[in-house]
Amino acid sequence: MTTPAIDTTALTRRFGDFTAVQDVNLRVDTGQFFGFLGPNGAGKSTTIKMLTGLLAPTSGSIRILGRDLESNSAEIKRQIGVVPEGMALFGRLTASEYLRFVGRMYGLDRATTLQRTQELLEFMQLADEQKKLITDFSHGMQKKLAMAAAVIHGPRVLFLDEPFEGVDAVAAGTLKAMLQRMIVRGATVFLTSHVLEIVERLCTHIAIIHRGQLVAQGSLEDLRAGAGRVGAAGSVQEAAPAGRPRSLEEIFLEIVGTDRDGNPAVTAPEQELSWLS
Amino acid sequence: MAELTASQAPLAPIPARTQLLAVAWLRWRIFANGFSRRRPATTRQVVSLAFLILLRIIVWPFLAFAVIGPVFGSGFFAWELVAHHHAQNLPELLAGIALLWQFVAVNGLSIAASLSGFDPASLLRFPLRFGRYFVLRTMIGFLTPSTIVGCLALLAAAVGIGIARPALALPALLVLTVYAWTNIFLTRMIGAWMERWLANRRFREIFGMLMAFLVVGFQFLNLQRPSRAPGASSSWLLRFLRVSHGYLHWLPPGFASDAILKSVHPFAAVAPFLGLLVSTVLFAAVFGIRLHKQFLGEYLSESVGRRGTASAASRVKTAAPQAVAVSAPAPPQAARPAIPPVIAACLRKEWFTLRSNSAQLLALLYPLAILVILNRGVFSQHPSYLLPGALAYVLAGLLASLYNIFGADGLGVQVYLLAPVRLRDVIVAKNLLSLALILVEAGLAWIVVSMLAHAPISQAMQVSTLLWIVFVIAANLSLGTFRSIQSPRKFVPGKMPQRRGVPGNRTSSLLVLLVLFGSLLLQVPVALLSRHFGNPWLAAWIFAPIAAVAVLAYALLLRNADRLILARRDLLAEELCKV
Repeated sequence: MTTPAIDTTALTRRFGDFTAVQDVNLRVDTGQFFGFLGPNGAGKSTTIKMLTGLLAPTSGSIRILGRDLESNSAEIKRQIGVVPEGMALFGRLTASEYLRFVGRMYGLDRATTLQRTQELLEFMQLADEQKKLITDFSHGMQKKLAMAAAVIHGPRVLFLDEPFEGVDAVAAGTLKAMLQRMIVRGATVFLTSHVLEIVERLCTHIAIIHRGQLVAQGSLEDLRAGAGRVGAAGSVQEAAPAGRPRSLEEIFLEIVGTDRDGNPAVTAPEQELSWLS
Repeated sequence: MAELTASQAPLAPIPARTQLLAVAWLRWRIFANGFSRRRPATTRQVVSLAFLILLRIIVWPFLAFAVIGPVFGSGFFAWELVAHHHAQNLPELLAGIALLWQFVAVNGLSIAASLSGFDPASLLRFPLRFGRYFVLRTMIGFLTPSTIVGCLALLAAAVGIGIARPALALPALLVLTVYAWTNIFLTRMIGAWMERWLANRRFREIFGMLMAFLVVGFQFLNLQRPSRAPGASSSWLLRFLRVSHGYLHWLPPGFASDAILKSVHPFAAVAPFLGLLVSTVLFAAVFGIRLHKQFLGEYLSESVGRRGTASAASRVKTAAPQAVAVSAPAPPQAARPAIPPVIAACLRKEWFTLRSNSAQLLALLYPLAILVILNRGVFSQHPSYLLPGALAYVLAGLLASLYNIFGADGLGVQVYLLAPVRLRDVIVAKNLLSLALILVEAGLAWIVVSMLAHAPISQAMQVSTLLWIVFVIAANLSLGTFRSIQSPRKFVPGKMPQRRGVPGNRTSSLLVLLVLFGSLLLQVPVALLSRHFGNPWLAAWIFAPIAAVAVLAYALLLRNADRLILARRDLLAEELCKV
């Protein structure tokens, strides 16, 4: 059995008396393109922050590439790449300066850093903007730069928080191709996105978090077959008899639309907002 | 394209030098890029750049004095104390340097953070070990004014001591180097803990008020100047220094001083030197504890707080039955409201925003407290100018806020641009609240002045002051609103400006300063004219027409407000909606 790229046990994070993430047991195998879904405020970004060492869990453990994150954070950070929620760029640098800085921080030698910086700028179609400060970049350009910075050191695991938000179709296509190539070469991609069509097209495995708890986990096929629902005791439901193939959106709405006991948790808004009719 | 996935082989450790140099280079590039042009050069940009250069030519000599003063002062006093047998007072000098160092550092924290656009905690996402992170956080800030001035002042003190008693030169240099590290770690310790506490909005507000009242408190203390009459008691400062002298020996300034002065008998100097080292290590350790929590992934922000358990759906469910169908005919209105609904809604929004910022509300009291000081200071010699002077003082801050009325709206400005409302109504609402604040503040100041005045204020003075206030408010409302539309700049209340405004802002800032302070200071020449012609009502006759003109200008501006905003809506959206 191979070592999972990401493995969490009873991962929990509380902010005061509010529990943002509760008892999350995630397992992402090496080489998977993993989609992490959930409605707004479900705990996706909090989970990513914990998985990348930016936020300490209240309890539970995280193992990345088989090593405990808390005790090996520096070694693990060398092998992961992150596009965080706010992108965390230094606005008063140029794109080239930023990539050179990131490369050096990850221990790349000067020549490799320069070579990869140039390649990445060209690949991301940012080479013509060399003299522009990052603060003057559009949102999409900043997203591409954040992605370039996340891969400059050749990470084995890539965490992407809404990577396609604000990126045009051409650039999104470029990014998707790059991510697919990374998967082919054995990297693992952990991605959150609200655009379910993109997740459906790219990801092979999915987990859904709702109100801080993992409510489904499995391959896309399993979820389509009605399996992968995480029960109240943490047990994973087996596949139901084959029926009509359903889209990820339908699965998602079905799962987050009911609580763990199967009761409807969301009321269809059109039933209540009569004045909109 | 580069090979993206690393090999499975164990990675060689990253040399510390590489990462430390990378961060030093990053800081340098951020600093150097601060001078670069952000947009293609235009005539306005060139004018703006020329103005900036001129400003620096004027400001830098003052800054140089601020550096040279403490440095030469420290050297001279150190020499004076040691050469003239007052070496027992050396701890006071070292404590003074430390106090200045910490005061400048604490006050420069938010300024430095906002100007550099660099948050040191952002380095945490890189593969750093804690030791390196600690070194980096200690290094960052070596080139801040507090560290430069503090280190130079201590070097000057060592030179002063060395000149006074050459035998103490080397020990002074060694001990004061350690003392510099004590201060560096003390600064970092205070900075790191402040960062922790200031993450809480309520604490930020309380801290802001404490600092403001501390400044006022110092002004009050300053009033208790020692009387020059023979036999009069000495000042509070000298009494404080006498009392604190004994305690200073148990603090780092005392340790450093003892270690230097007793160095002629090395064994006697060991204990105070150890005391100094222990203090340094203690400050470094407390700083390290805070950093370590941050390193492990501490969450400082309060954005995720208590949340209700009710789901969005349940909220919709309860709200829906009271809702009214869009397609249904509007219910007949009972009566025409006194304030148009759009203005009322915007006013309510402005009030809610103000209400949530208690520091801003409390800051209204701060200028009133200063009035008491001014009354005992500058106005005690010119009581006739007390009323206009006091009003000019208390209103300056409030009037300045009229020049960027959309700044605090940020992304929210889009609501105004998208909503089917007359933008004039939005401006009226914003100005109404500002006007209410100005009138309340002016009214309170008027009451305070009436109580403080030693003689009744003449009717002519009261009338002319009233007309002058009308002029000042109308003039600043007009230009302020115009500039708010022409040169908007996003800002978050309670934080330093985080980004530059539109090109040409600096140039128009000069005009703003001229109008703002010109209108406030106009009282002075007019009062002098009144005195020259011996007619106390002359000021009223002068202010009445110009107040009328200013009011007309404001009315004209309001009439054209929609057109002006629509012409600049792209700029408003671009500047205020930047994330």
